[in-house]
Amino acid sequence: MAILVDKNSKVMVQGITGGAGSFHTKRMIAYGTNIVGGTTPGKGGREVEGRPVFDTVAECVGGTGADTSVIFLPARFVKDAAIESIRAGVKFVVVVPEHIPIHDMLLVRKEAMKHGCTVLGGNTAGIITPGEANLGIMPDIAFTAGRVGTVSRSGSITYYIADTLTRSGYGETTCVGLGGDPILGSTFDEILAMFDADEKTRAVVMTGEIGGVYEERACDQISRMKTPVIAMIGGIFAPQGKRMGHAGAIVEGKMGTAKEKLDALAAAGAHPARTFKDIPEILKKLGV
Amino acid sequence: MRLYEFEGKGLFGKFKIPIPDGRVASTPDEVDAIAKEINAPPAPKPQVLTGGRGKAGGVKVVDNPADARAGAEELFELTIKGFPVEKLLVEPKLDIKKELYLGVTIDRLNYKLVIIASGEGGVDIEEIAEKSPEKIFRKSLDIDEELYGFDAIEIAKKIGISSELTKQATPIVVNLLKLFKAYDAKLAEINPLVITGDGKLIAADSRISLDDDAVFRHPDLADMGIEKRHEEGEMTPREQQATEWGIPYLDLDGNIGMFPGGAGFGIMGNDFIQYYGGKPANFMDSGGGPTPERLARMLVLLNENPNVKVIFGARFGGISRCDDFAKGVTMFLKEHGLSKPMVCRMTGNMWQEGVRLFDEAKKENPELFKNFEFHGIETPIEEISKRAVELARIAEGGN
Repeated sequence: MAILVDKNSKVMVQGITGGAGSFHTKRMIAYGTNIVGGTTPGKGGREVEGRPVFDTVAECVGGTGADTSVIFLPARFVKDAAIESIRAGVKFVVVVPEHIPIHDMLLVRKEAMKHGCTVLGGNTAGIITPGEANLGIMPDIAFTAGRVGTVSRSGSITYYIADTLTRSGYGETTCVGLGGDPILGSTFDEILAMFDADEKTRAVVMTGEIGGVYEERACDQISRMKTPVIAMIGGIFAPQGKRMGHAGAIVEGKMGTAKEKLDALAAAGAHPARTFKDIPEILKKLGV
Repeated sequence: MRLYEFEGKGLFGKFKIPIPDGRVASTPDEVDAIAKEINAPPAPKPQVLTGGRGKAGGVKVVDNPADARAGAEELFELTIKGFPVEKLLVEPKLDIKKELYLGVTIDRLNYKLVIIASGEGGVDIEEIAEKSPEKIFRKSLDIDEELYGFDAIEIAKKIGISSELTKQATPIVVNLLKLFKAYDAKLAEINPLVITGDGKLIAADSRISLDDDAVFRHPDLADMGIEKRHEEGEMTPREQQATEWGIPYLDLDGNIGMFPGGAGFGIMGNDFIQYYGGKPANFMDSGGGPTPERLARMLVLLNENPNVKVIFGARFGGISRCDDFAKGVTMFLKEHGLSKPMVCRMTGNMWQEGVRLFDEAKKENPELFKNFEFHGIETPIEEISKRAVELARIAEGGN
């Protein structure tokens, strides 16, 4: 078991003929990911790495049965591409490009909710279920199949944590990159709920960082979970970051500093870790 | 991207939100000319990208237009929170009966737009929100949801706008939301929205912040003279240099130069150093897949910073490659030489090739590497952090 993606996922790539799209398609296939095809408008009928290219997502879904899509397109095309996938019935969309306009992501999120689709990103390194599927740009070097799930805003932090879990013998069920953009397709609480429902995931490591609002939103979920959560927040000592302005501060209240985030998560029942090497020690205490 | 008050008011004018009849001046002479033209007591306001102008002595009302020049000369001397005053917006003084607040922003937690209104404007709206939240009215909307006239009337009533003024208020609310959507705003505030003695609603100040990532689809902003800019405070010379090179960089007050990978570990690495008793001299983000040239420039920033006593390097190659990392570090060592100790860990994508390149360069010129301590995946990053703190203590004369 795993969450969101496994060896049976039928994965397509939007922007498959582009530089990044074709490069990472090759890498994902080499890992063993079940890539079934892709799209580039105007290039239907070609092949990339032996996979068929279509003009539209609906054609790709019709021709290959794709249920998952990874987007490798410039930010300005992401709104259109994501909504195209969502409306064609794709159930999981990974948005790798960064700097997606905020208003675009609000609309993508609304469409995704309406159609029961999960979106990750923008600016995510992707998601990996070790030994089964690797979607996005994560290197396979740090990952081993195992029993701990991870969810993080940042790619590099995901590698450090997976490396720690791999070396300490725990391994990972699935590692999820939420993304670094200011508005994200999915939030910590939603991914944590999926891990909680996954039988094989015995504990989850979540790493957030200063700024934003998504870590606080995880608290309710953590307090309801049977699966233990280890939490790390980057920026404990960082000077207060920039805010969105007065009205933004009102809406978000006092949320945002790393200390406040970590305190709130701990109060909800998460086990705080300061550095990576704390993680295996906490897992050991928890009997994972 | 934050707009100047006059730029925001320009957008208000475009969306038929009433604004004072003002003009922008860059010299006391221009202020004098405008003051004569508007034929009313002029109120020149410094145009800076920060709040708190009033507190800094930056708002002046001159009762006699003939005194405008002298008042302006004083204002042009001011520096407000690090911003020198280069432009003044000269407007006729308003006869203010009441000050209200109207704003639109994004509720990221719930993925909604939210209109915020209050019968108490002109002051810090955050304070009102904290002390008397009942005085603030909010209405949430989906990004593609329309705001109807009757919604706007409801908002106007909630903040105490009288029946006879609703005809003026309704289009202001509707159009502020239109502006917000049309220009990909993160924040659009009228604070205060004033009711004048003769019963008019006027936007007396503007605060607009646009989404940097959406500026590409608003080429007309450049036609209006609105271009990408930095928002808060004055940058240090090093921050300016880093910005020119496209490197996210912040000076901090410690002595350990941070040379990390992406922003995620860029932030967390600074925490690690402080857990072990050290103090970072900076925050930096290499970005994904940095080129050797970019990495070398990151090191130049630290090498030339006299506050930096030791450099801490960390590379976990994902999308980025360790061979590029080794090339960048070697390029820097050859061109500039390391003037302080550096401790560094490198693993991940292409690490074998990275190690080979380091070994080769070191064999060629061992002198270059004499201050350089190198570790691979076998040494946990926590140990590297501790070592950096220890080296910094030694460099400062400790033991």
